Amino acid sequence: MKRIIPISIVLLGAILLSACATSSRGVSWPGLAVDTTNVYFADGASVFAIRLSDGSVAWKYPKNSVGSVFYSSPVVTSDGQVLVGSAGIDHALYSLDAATGNEKWPTPFKAATDHFIASPLVVNDTVYAPNNDGMLYVLKLATGQQLWALPVSHSLWGTPVSNGKFVFVTSLDHFLYAIDPESRKIAWKVDLGGAIPGSPAISPDGTTVYIGSFNSKVAALNAEDGAIRWTADTQGWVWGAPALEGDSVYVADINGNIYSLGVPNGKNPWPSIQPDGPITGSPLALGDGVLVATESGGVYTFDTNGGMLWPNGTQVGGKIYTTPVAAGDMILVAPLNTDFLLAALNRETGSIIWKFTGK
Amino acid sequence: MNWWDFLLINPFTNVLLWIYDAIGHNFGVAIILFTILIRAVTWPLNGQQLKSTKVMQDLQNDKEWQDIQKKYAKDREKLAQEQMRIYQERGINPLASCLPTLVQFPIIIGLYQSITRALATTPLGLLQLARSIYPFLNTALLIPLNSKFLWMDLGRPEGIPFPGGFTISFLPYGFPTLALIVAFTTYLQTKLTMPAPSATNPSDQTAAMNSMMSIYMPLLLGYFALNFASGLAVYFITSNLLGIAQYAMMGRVNWRNLLPGGAQPAPSNKGK
Repeated sequence: MKRIIPISIVLLGAILLSACATSSRGVSWPGLAVDTTNVYFADGASVFAIRLSDGSVAWKYPKNSVGSVFYSSPVVTSDGQVLVGSAGIDHALYSLDAATGNEKWPTPFKAATDHFIASPLVVNDTVYAPNNDGMLYVLKLATGQQLWALPVSHSLWGTPVSNGKFVFVTSLDHFLYAIDPESRKIAWKVDLGGAIPGSPAISPDGTTVYIGSFNSKVAALNAEDGAIRWTADTQGWVWGAPALEGDSVYVADINGNIYSLGVPNGKNPWPSIQPDGPITGSPLALGDGVLVATESGGVYTFDTNGGMLWPNGTQVGGKIYTTPVAAGDMILVAPLNTDFLLAALNRETGSIIWKFTGK
Repeated sequence: MNWWDFLLINPFTNVLLWIYDAIGHNFGVAIILFTILIRAVTWPLNGQQLKSTKVMQDLQNDKEWQDIQKKYAKDREKLAQEQMRIYQERGINPLASCLPTLVQFPIIIGLYQSITRALATTPLGLLQLARSIYPFLNTALLIPLNSKFLWMDLGRPEGIPFPGGFTISFLPYGFPTLALIVAFTTYLQTKLTMPAPSATNPSDQTAAMNSMMSIYMPLLLGYFALNFASGLAVYFITSNLLGIAQYAMMGRVNWRNLLPGGAQPAPSNKGK
């Protein structure tokens, strides 16, 4: 009897604290990339290659857990690699063979001291990999060997973009950084007044950078010197990268609003459009409009005037936080908190073609 | 939003963030000040625990209590009835000394979740944080929080890397300095605040329970400090030191318990 109370307290504590722990899937932030045959799907502790034709698994990495947790989208390179960073305790950036899922680099890149939440950027034969430790690691694409590294700032969560001259890196520290790979230095930086977890977008001519922030604003900046060309207010924080198409900059906020901002001046000609829930992923430009996915599990498409392309959208289910991708005549979305991990939708109608359950 | 978040996590998170903002963006100091606040709020509860522990200790030395232990040693049902009678006659709640410990658990769990939520080391965590912050805080300026405190990253388990890149599989973060300090201060607090064992009652149940607690609690909290965010360990250490200070202020610290074989029996209370 006298042992019951202390043992009960210990057990109660263990049970209650264990309630704090969740599976890697429960806190995941799935990422997608495609090539002509597969969709590469990083989610929780695994990266899957899934055949676009039928949703079957081509390969899965790793076969046994190595402490990895994947929160970022894989990147498919022109030489057949799939690069994916881990947000697990391994702090590693992996190169996988797109055909087999086997590791391609002699060893994964493990010099970072924190999570990889951002996807890397590949420019020619160079990989730019931002890390949560505030460093931008620059690697040789063929081998993963570190060429140089630049301490940028606080947590780097956004995938960099390049206009050929600078590499643009966002940070949660509120700054957008333009990095000159030639000098390996920061060419300029601009404080946007709020954390920037997403990526910037670059105009086709490379002269303008578009970026949203937690300051509830979207800014267009001169890529050469960071001078602000215009800013546009949003009702909520902007998480995902803007999507450019024609004369529009499509942006969504976590209050669930979608905006079509004019490239020259940031004016939004659309009426208020707020489908059914917060939007953290980037809008996806479709050529004839834009697609967004919401936390409520809905996928919606709009034409260039803000009219709905799919009647009432498609309710996929679960919670969609990350950016959908287009693959031929399909749209792929990765919801959380539902009984499947990935769904392929018909691009024209929004109907579900197949689902991937992880098995 | 669920009730747990509404009643505990969100208020804790916002108080933590408010302190963090007020003191110039040092999250470690914010946790320490928050712990002091929690201690102040639960001060009456801890005081009640002290009194209840003393009452239970005195009861172990009471002649009537000892007599019924002997008389009904082989009849546990009757013994329980007699014990309940004495509790009722003297207005004693035998669980009163456990209540503050039980109250600590939701606070610990709430604090752990508040720390991890505030530091938002994952995208989903950042989204949850955005939804937790009350309007009076300027969220856009607060995020991201500075998670560095001394040598620690408060959002991650603490460990000092072993020299030469040496690794031990069950210590993935390195040498667990903070977990050891947590275990030591918990042991210290338990020993210092443990009443002396009864001189007349060798089967003193309270003393036996306290003795077991002095082993279990350091191990439990040390294990938590080893595996959870180091901000929680900062809370444990601060809370333990404040607990010792509170007992000392009330004149209840038993320094002799720290000496080898130094736990002196309490003087016998010869009946009512």
